[in-house]
Amino acid sequence: MVGINSSSQIINKEKKRSKWLLRNLPTILLYLVAIIFLFVQVLPFIYLILQSLAPWNQVDRTILPTSLTLRSYEWLLKGGETSVAQPWLKAFGNSVLLSTSATLLQVSIGAGVAYGISILHFKGSGSIKNFILFQMFYPAVILMVPTFLIIRYLGMYNTFWGMLFPTIVSLFAIFMFTNFFLSIPNELIEAARIDGASEWRIIFSIVLPMARSIITVVALFLFVERWSNLMWDLMVVKDPAKQTLNVLLATMFGPYGTYPGPLYAAGVLLTLPLVILFLIFSRNFVKGIQFVLK
Amino acid sequence: MERTKNIQGWLFSSPYLIYTLVFFIAPLIMSIALVFFDWNLISPNPIFVGLENFNEALTSVRVHKAFLASYKFMGTFVPGVIIVSLIMALIVNALPRFKSLFSVGFFLPYLVSGVALSLVVRGVLSYNGPVNVALRSMFGTSPDWLGTPTTAIFVISAMIIWKMSGYYSLIFLSGLQNIPKELYEAASLDGASKWRQFWSITVPMLYPAFYSVIVLAVGLVFAIFTEPYTLTNGGPAMATHTWQLEIYYQAFSSFRAGYAATVALLCSIVTFISIWVIRRIVEAWGHHYGWD
Repeated sequence: MVGINSSSQIINKEKKRSKWLLRNLPTILLYLVAIIFLFVQVLPFIYLILQSLAPWNQVDRTILPTSLTLRSYEWLLKGGETSVAQPWLKAFGNSVLLSTSATLLQVSIGAGVAYGISILHFKGSGSIKNFILFQMFYPAVILMVPTFLIIRYLGMYNTFWGMLFPTIVSLFAIFMFTNFFLSIPNELIEAARIDGASEWRIIFSIVLPMARSIITVVALFLFVERWSNLMWDLMVVKDPAKQTLNVLLATMFGPYGTYPGPLYAAGVLLTLPLVILFLIFSRNFVKGIQFVLK
Repeated sequence: MERTKNIQGWLFSSPYLIYTLVFFIAPLIMSIALVFFDWNLISPNPIFVGLENFNEALTSVRVHKAFLASYKFMGTFVPGVIIVSLIMALIVNALPRFKSLFSVGFFLPYLVSGVALSLVVRGVLSYNGPVNVALRSMFGTSPDWLGTPTTAIFVISAMIIWKMSGYYSLIFLSGLQNIPKELYEAASLDGASKWRQFWSITVPMLYPAFYSVIVLAVGLVFAIFTEPYTLTNGGPAMATHTWQLEIYYQAFSSFRAGYAATVALLCSIVTFISIWVIRRIVEAWGHHYGWD
């Protein structure tokens, strides 16, 4: 009796399981497809990291190296050996300094201008707003060669400042912040003014705290854009000790042709900081992106 | 009160105003002047050549190649990125849980510099790389991916699709979340299949998202620089020679500032007209569904 009972239980369980499977099949398939897409999106990251750790005779030969080594990273620390030694760590430092200072300036100048346009409504703010729209639609490619000439004229060719100054203002940031500040209820700011709060006080205790997610999203986009810029930084700085990591890596494809391992290590150094930064702020990003996309 | 407001306003705007004067107004005026001159960036006396730069640019094989390449990239990249990002958005929208996890994961490639991706692609597609080794063992042949004009275009388009699809899928996703659920319920009651619902509800309701993605993607095509610069240098046979590469080459390899400014002007005119035409087409499609 016991045997029959338990076997019927098993049959029942299996029936239940297959029913559950059948009912949830579309969802399971959906997750499967989602995971395949996710895998494709992260595969190049995995490849980059694995190749940077692979023994040099296996780099670009196999996807999964049989053993791991830090030799490529050691090379990077020493700047590489022989005739192709390059200041890789210096370049990384240049990238960090450039992208951080550009992003800080773009965000603070952007927030200041947006505050003036949207909350102060001063005389002439309407014209500035219109002119910003005109600038946003004006093709930047036309301005590139003349901007280079201006930088050279100002004595900033082959300097850090030559990379930084043309990117201290972001029209995108001004535009986004203006739209966000306009969505803040005017009564809130008027009430603070009646209570005698100064403009600085209003900015730091009302406007900026409300704008935290939008600032995070805009700053992330600006940082990524500045970090990955190639054309401008390539034009302005020729000295390898002053170049960004992105530029140095791009120009070393040929000279490092026989040393792909260190290039992959430099690629990891170029990619990983952005991924970490993004993951730290991803919660704010998910919140703020909704506004940016409107 | 009004006065302090005005002073404060101009004070807040002053960094922007100085920047605009130095890096927008001044280059704008210079760019208009430059196109009429032949100048090697060093000589103290630029030579006035009238419309000679335009004459040369319009008949230049290099410019023609750049013109063609931009449309080849448009034909592969724009449809590709729309399909991939739309599918991603549909997946994320349909998932019962972990929506943000997957949309954040799909977005990750946007963070990768084109240079780092070029490095990976060059390695993966090299003669002894994993893809070609696998193809040789299975089919006995392996293509020279970056050395063949057609495949080089497809590889570079695929790289940019990979990079941008997660970003564009966020635009589609926010469009999908704005579609009222009642529309689908009513359609189901009327017996419309899922397939039919997709084409008759989802696609028309996503018109604003399609519009943004198409305009962004078409604009991006004319700004391609990093991938061909690092991978193909515009080759093979100038198949991947983009506008940006040509401007860079003329200004900083041939040192012809006036001619480069002329090519840049032509590039922006072509970009403007292309975006205008495509906007008109998309808008006509939107009107068909009753959008303004």
